[in-house]
Amino acid sequence: MDIKLKKLDEFRWIIPKTGAMRVPGLIFSSPQLLEAIKQEQSLVQVSNVATLPGIVRHSLAMPDIHWGYGFPIGGVAAFEENEGIISPGGVGYDINCGCRIMTTSLRADQIRPMIKDLVAALFINIPTGVGSAGTVRLTKSEEAKVAVEGASWAVKKGFGQAEDLERTEDHGTIPGADPSVLSDKAFKRGLDQLGTLGSGNHFLEIQVVDEIYDQERARAFGLFEGQITVMIHSGSRGFGHQICDDFLKKMAREVQAQRFQLPDRQLACAYIKSDLGQRYLAAMACAANYAWANRQILMHLAHETFLKALSISPSELNMKLLYDVCHNIAKIERHTVDGQELTVCVHRKGATRALPPAHPLLPDIYKAVGQPVLIPGDMGTYSFVLAGAEGALRETFASSCHGAGRVLSRSQATKKAKGRAIHRELEDKGIFVQSRGKKTLKEEMPEAYKDVSAVVEVVHRAGLACKVARMRPLGVIKG
Amino acid sequence: MREKRLDYKVLDHTADLGMIVCAETLEGLFESAALSMIHIMLKVEQTGPSSITPLSIEGQDLADLMVRWLGEVLYLFEGERVITVDANVQSLSGHHLEASVSTIPFDPQVHEVLYEIKAVTYHQIEVLKKNSHWKTRVVFDL
Repeated sequence: MDIKLKKLDEFRWIIPKTGAMRVPGLIFSSPQLLEAIKQEQSLVQVSNVATLPGIVRHSLAMPDIHWGYGFPIGGVAAFEENEGIISPGGVGYDINCGCRIMTTSLRADQIRPMIKDLVAALFINIPTGVGSAGTVRLTKSEEAKVAVEGASWAVKKGFGQAEDLERTEDHGTIPGADPSVLSDKAFKRGLDQLGTLGSGNHFLEIQVVDEIYDQERARAFGLFEGQITVMIHSGSRGFGHQICDDFLKKMAREVQAQRFQLPDRQLACAYIKSDLGQRYLAAMACAANYAWANRQILMHLAHETFLKALSISPSELNMKLLYDVCHNIAKIERHTVDGQELTVCVHRKGATRALPPAHPLLPDIYKAVGQPVLIPGDMGTYSFVLAGAEGALRETFASSCHGAGRVLSRSQATKKAKGRAIHRELEDKGIFVQSRGKKTLKEEMPEAYKDVSAVVEVVHRAGLACKVARMRPLGVIKG
Repeated sequence: MREKRLDYKVLDHTADLGMIVCAETLEGLFESAALSMIHIMLKVEQTGPSSITPLSIEGQDLADLMVRWLGEVLYLFEGERVITVDANVQSLSGHHLEASVSTIPFDPQVHEVLYEIKAVTYHQIEVLKKNSHWKTRVVFDL
């Protein structure tokens, strides 16, 4: 299918409403990024999403958009609560896959000689890779509590501090979670995976703040140049995958019953207000809460490892959560659309919420500067901290990009890496990496991803979020 | 028992991974798809005594049945920690599948994991007969 694009300005392109599309598509990009996007099918997916019932204003794509299944990755779509749908495929299998960043009082020059040992210690203490079992063993009833309470369950069990919760999107708990709607399979897959990083693009990274773009916001976020930060990228593990899978199958039947005409079966959905729609929201909240507990525990494990491996006191380390955001989620939110206040279900599949300053949902500590927006890059280049800006509220249902976005498939990356020692190449750049899977390093090599700086530049200049700081990796553990 | 040849090729997808599997019969296609998926996920060189697990699956059509069938085999690995080393389809209609799979316990010291497949998706799913052969295309979420 040939998708026609109409350029609006330097960073915006429209897919005009044609055929079964109910709204136009709006793509945030640059001429250079757009070239890569045109090579695959993600623009078709943007127009497919525009056909779904109840979609409001635009089917949106962030500059890191790439070919997903059903919804594109980097896609945002809001559906009106009474006439709109909710789709598990619009959230993704890894429900509440997300990112958190911790600041420390350490400077890179203080710990540079110890980075390799620190990476080795983190790799031992933090379970990574396929089928790894976590340090927390749950019973089914305890798992149900995790699903309802989220990050606060972890804090109650001694993983981190109560103050971490206000530095977590939604305080680390989405209300309305109901474990009674979950399958035994979901419970079983989640029993031993709490406190595990996972595989693929999930990681824990030791970083140094490399550049500050906005001094006022950096101060508010506790960031300074030369500082050591730690970033974690993980999600709801097998628990969330099973919940998505279970509900996609239920919705596939609903699609037949409702006679929805879908261009892709992966877009299976149900009306938000239907019984199935409500049950999915309750199940999705369980997985989201599990993911927040997971990242809270991973942070605690990293904290313990830093203290032990560097033989320093908690006050010397001073590890604090800056913020935790999810980038695979559907949320019921209030937004102003064409002058009218609407309750909508915002699907962010590979997109980050980005609230501007003074937004009522912001915690007091960030009220003046906006919500921290965390953009992990690939392991060879940079990650960014941004702050939500007004444009996001106006144009994207308060959403921004979520990362670099793949540009090479796994087999293309492996081919490109053939005969090369990626491990050594990264070490030459001062980045120590330990990974469980033999293929992971090749598939996740820097060239497999878009230039994250180019992605961030688009959201910054389009006014969706503003650049605050850039971090460079020093050590990475991966599954 | 049908002889099972793994006739599949890996399908390139930017973020994920897919496979195209071919077989002479529809039953053989389902068996081969399950074993091909395991072959993509794991390196299994040694097998010991296996257990038999019966599976009974309902679906809307062949494509839906394929997604659900592979989903069950994936769950056996993810949830029950067993690897499917053989599959036998006993009966198959457009909406129903009766099969049994032979499994061995997963041992991370012995079996190398090549890919973590999170799920079997409906994206671009296809089960069709082409000339005298059956073919399926499946995309996985990694």
